[in-house]
Amino acid sequence: MSVSRALPHDAARLHVTGAARYVDDIPVPAGCLHLAFGLSTIARGAIRSMNLDEARGAPGVVAVLSAADLPFANDVSPSAHDEPLLATDRVHYLGQQLFLVVAESHLAARRAARLGRVEYDEEDPVLTIEQALAAGARFEEGPRIYEKGDARAAIAAAARTIEGTIEIGGQEHFYLEGQAALALPQEGGDMVVHSSTQHPTEIQHKVAEALGVPMHGVRVETRRMGGGFGGKESQGNALAVACAVAARLTGRACKMRYDRDDDMIVTGKRHDFRIAYRAGFDADGRIGGVEFVQYARCGWSQDLSLPVADRAMLHADNAYLLPACRIESHRLRTNTQSATAFRGFGGPQGMLGIERVMDHIAHELGLDPVELRRRNYYRAPGAGGLSAPRAAAPRPPESFPGKMKHVDPATDLTSRGAVSDLAPDRARAEGGGNTTPYGQAVNDFELHGITDVLMRTSDYDNRCRAVGEWNARGGPIRRGIAFSPVKFGISFTLTHLNQAGALVHVYQDGSVHLNHGGTEMGQGLFQKVAQVAASRFGIEPGAVKITATDTAKVPNTSATAASSGSDLNGMAVKAACDTIRGRMAEFLAELHQTVAAEVRFHDGRVRVGSHDMSFAEAAEAAYLGRVSLSATGYYRTPKLAWDRIRGVGRPFYYFAYGAAVSEVAVDIRSGEYRILRADILHDAGASLNPALDIGQIEGGYVQGAGWLTTEELVWDGKGRLRTQAPSTYKIPACADRPEVFNVALWDGANREDTIYRSKAVGEPPLMLGISAFLALSHAIASCGARYPALDAPATPEAVWAAVRRLGHGI
Amino acid sequence: MYNFEFVKPSSIDEAVAALGEDEAQALGGGQTLIPTLKQRLARPARLVSLSGIAEMKGVGAEGGVLTIGGGTSHATVAAEAAGSYPALAALAGNIGDPAVRNRGTIGGSLANNDPSACYPAAALGSGATIVTNAREIAADDFFKGMFTTALEEGEIITAVRFPVPQAANYQKFEQPASRFALVGVFVARGGDGVRVAVTGASEEGVFRWSEAEAALASDFSTGAIEGLSVPADGMIADLHGSKAYRAHLVGVLTRRAVSAAS
Amino acid sequence: MIEAVKSRSRKRLITLTVNGEEHEIAIRPNAMLVDVVRDQIGLTGTKSGCSSGSCGACTLLIDGRPMLACSTLAVECDGKAIRTVEDLADGERLSPIQEAFLDQGAVQCGFCTPGMLMSVTALIASNPKPSHQEIKKALEGNLCRCTGYNAIFNAVLQATGQDGIKPIMF
Repeated sequence: MSVSRALPHDAARLHVTGAARYVDDIPVPAGCLHLAFGLSTIARGAIRSMNLDEARGAPGVVAVLSAADLPFANDVSPSAHDEPLLATDRVHYLGQQLFLVVAESHLAARRAARLGRVEYDEEDPVLTIEQALAAGARFEEGPRIYEKGDARAAIAAAARTIEGTIEIGGQEHFYLEGQAALALPQEGGDMVVHSSTQHPTEIQHKVAEALGVPMHGVRVETRRMGGGFGGKESQGNALAVACAVAARLTGRACKMRYDRDDDMIVTGKRHDFRIAYRAGFDADGRIGGVEFVQYARCGWSQDLSLPVADRAMLHADNAYLLPACRIESHRLRTNTQSATAFRGFGGPQGMLGIERVMDHIAHELGLDPVELRRRNYYRAPGAGGLSAPRAAAPRPPESFPGKMKHVDPATDLTSRGAVSDLAPDRARAEGGGNTTPYGQAVNDFELHGITDVLMRTSDYDNRCRAVGEWNARGGPIRRGIAFSPVKFGISFTLTHLNQAGALVHVYQDGSVHLNHGGTEMGQGLFQKVAQVAASRFGIEPGAVKITATDTAKVPNTSATAASSGSDLNGMAVKAACDTIRGRMAEFLAELHQTVAAEVRFHDGRVRVGSHDMSFAEAAEAAYLGRVSLSATGYYRTPKLAWDRIRGVGRPFYYFAYGAAVSEVAVDIRSGEYRILRADILHDAGASLNPALDIGQIEGGYVQGAGWLTTEELVWDGKGRLRTQAPSTYKIPACADRPEVFNVALWDGANREDTIYRSKAVGEPPLMLGISAFLALSHAIASCGARYPALDAPATPEAVWAAVRRLGHGI
Repeated sequence: MYNFEFVKPSSIDEAVAALGEDEAQALGGGQTLIPTLKQRLARPARLVSLSGIAEMKGVGAEGGVLTIGGGTSHATVAAEAAGSYPALAALAGNIGDPAVRNRGTIGGSLANNDPSACYPAAALGSGATIVTNAREIAADDFFKGMFTTALEEGEIITAVRFPVPQAANYQKFEQPASRFALVGVFVARGGDGVRVAVTGASEEGVFRWSEAEAALASDFSTGAIEGLSVPADGMIADLHGSKAYRAHLVGVLTRRAVSAAS
Repeated sequence: MIEAVKSRSRKRLITLTVNGEEHEIAIRPNAMLVDVVRDQIGLTGTKSGCSSGSCGACTLLIDGRPMLACSTLAVECDGKAIRTVEDLADGERLSPIQEAFLDQGAVQCGFCTPGMLMSVTALIASNPKPSHQEIKKALEGNLCRCTGYNAIFNAVLQATGQDGIKPIMF
């Protein structure tokens, strides 16, 4: 069967020959125009005047548009209607789009974009957490609070306590392919848009709104992205809308791509966080209660910040059963880029909070950090104790009689930024005692087994001892080793997004055309889903043609995000294939006087009783027999019910798990360090494609380690992003990969009924990189008695400073 | 990028003539200049490419002096100086990345005198002589602070002469994103003493650390400079490192270089 | 002889041999090689990632050496031989390094792949058995955001027959 095979990425051959096309590679019609935005040069203020004459007169310029020239909606926000395509009276960050240049070439557009003469009444920007708190600049009315038990009382009653704060930096996506869009005007005012986006439906919605047409007037196609990582969930809206508006105005094709400096200045990044914590525990390190206060710098517009901050709260427990817990979350509005989705979507920040607490407690008690973690783990399924029978799952919300609220037609319901109040009263805490701070029972906890195996395969105990002995010699090179687990919740927390569609055709020659709502950004989704389709029909994956995501083929799709791509679209494709296969089987069974259940699809053959034919012959026969060989498929994730306001329910269908051990060497004289070795054991359920999954894990780990080590975003006091180029912002390079890198898949099937019992693998491995950060802390801790309390990113200078703080006189 | 006139002379004389016109700018390998032009930090009207001048290319060693043509790429220096001046070859082989090393030139790097570039440390640390179309300039007189040199308008670096020291070593702490030196220290021990040249650290550009030189002259060992440090005042402070950190690294890297050269 | 273009706006003719084929092309002096190769010659395999000489996506070979097409004036390449990713395969037959990229899962989003392949091709041409350190150095200018480099590293080892690295696909 095709599923579970390690097959290369579907387009790998196209990529290595240079034939794979990205938006900027698509041949354009003659007369195609090119666009660039004029950007704000201050972070906050009122626009007093905007003189665009010089830009209009620049060579090659066809038109220059400002907000007043836009024919319909001036909004590119995913949901909150707080992001104008072009600024009207005020600017909210340095880099905000003010006007749009339409020109004969990309260079001409970029040149003219610098010729806008804009006068501002400049105001002091709100940049820091302190400033935002002081100004009351926040999203939502006040902090969101999720609680389980009485954390304050539990901490007060505990034998020991710790408290502290960790600063956690943001992260630039640095997808290698910058944002890009191409709009092609069609007859009758229709528009076709090619967009490098994780969310074609949102692009369709925003373009339709901007053109004043129904969604059926806009078709969005996305064959692939050169990387997304969350940065193309909502950040592509501005380019696509700009192209469509300009194409409508000029009647010509319009293309826009951000050069890297614009891309880094304009688009949102991972939210930086401050997390203050207080924990009470006993002498054995068992936690009685924890309090977190999470401060997220969200930037100037709401974008997806609410669900990002929610997810940070939902991962404040990570792998640990916290008897009492209080999480307070502040979503602060600042005059900076609007922080957005980034692989993990808040989860990594929340998780780092509790991992910091664990690290701190282990240091406080002088206890092995792995043992400490195990003592606080959730219980394994069937581990007895207090665990009650699994609570009956709430019924999936089939319909909402009498519950349907009036929805603003301008709201993009497919955005994670959308708010839905549909049936939250179904959400309730699950029983059993092995529950998260938000009341979801943890019934699939794999980490006891994963930890046991990883301890063995990584030779953790011996290496830990060796590191201790090495450091005891007191030389300038110190080593550190650390373990960290991951438990990551899988599903969109906006429950209604957990649905997907597919469209499958079987042609009379037996070849298969496959389409679904997911987008390909390098993660291998298309190949995985093709393997599902091939398996349903019993044919080779090569017989399945994977086609570009297209809003005209599958409508109302969710973003390819939240790691959900193969879970949702795999199931939808399976449903479509099974519909067609069922029709074929029924027809062939009748033809050969047997029952449909006796028809087998296997190895490219179809066996009907004693008759045997190729799949192509079967398809041809079915066609001649007037059987429909085309079907849609649909899937919605069961068992979900979540109330994000009360913080109660089951937001996740299941959890994905993994664990890592990282070892580092630190030169305490300079703060330089290297990751010497990483050992990872990760739970992808019954993997749909082990090679692709391991690729996700390796890449996720390195990206996560980069986030916490070298990737530093710096803004100056005026709100200007100073790290706005690859020469100032450091993502991991080849030499930064761990010299020894052992990655294995945990051998297990998903306990929930997902596609072939696989698990989502896009985001969870990023958080394995936390182990590298903790290993640095471990190495530094050898320089003194106090806890290093390292902030992220732990750049070499930060490491050096931490060593000095511990009183080491180097 | 805005437009300009482009000429590609094949001799030094022609290049000098071409640079005599208004707003002309010499183009070496272009690895700094081209991105700068794209950012429009400079807008010369005419670019004079030096890449077609055969007499400005190549590496030759004679009588303890290594002569490198001003138009020689870092990759060529890395390969061809490896036998005669390994420390210099290693420095050249660690500039940027392979693509940069294949285009960037020693003359371009010295003329630009980026405060974080590697070559200025080698030239100053070796006591090199910068040869131009008009004259010869001792490295000690050549570097005049960040992005400033003794070169006159239109003057071209045609060659650089390095007296090969008895022992030398270059240590670079990379600004990781650009691979330029956050701090780089070139230590050379020759017949007339020890030279320690520091790049990346100072607001004045590359400089000689005379206290370390004096200490090392009598005792070329890490112990001789153990307690020495440069003052943080005058060091560069930017998003990649504070003054204190850079000052500290100068000591660390000097000791490393001395240790490697001993 | 000084060849000069008197008018800034005037185009000049240059000759580029691209993947063995000679092209006479009219360009302005400020045209970057990456734009000429992509837009005028129509070979879009070479990618424009950062346009500032920092990511390596536009790496191609000029007279056999890896260089950045985004930081090279096309006019500087007059008379030179350019090789791009489109030239690596012999018809349908992939080169060993291309095969190794497939076999090791070294391709995810693919945007860094062409530049990565050109750097590796140049490395192997001059050094058929590169050490780990030499591989790292050869790839230090090529950024990848997806793979974490492990599969890419292993692909180079496989293509050069080292460390017993075998395809991971089955």
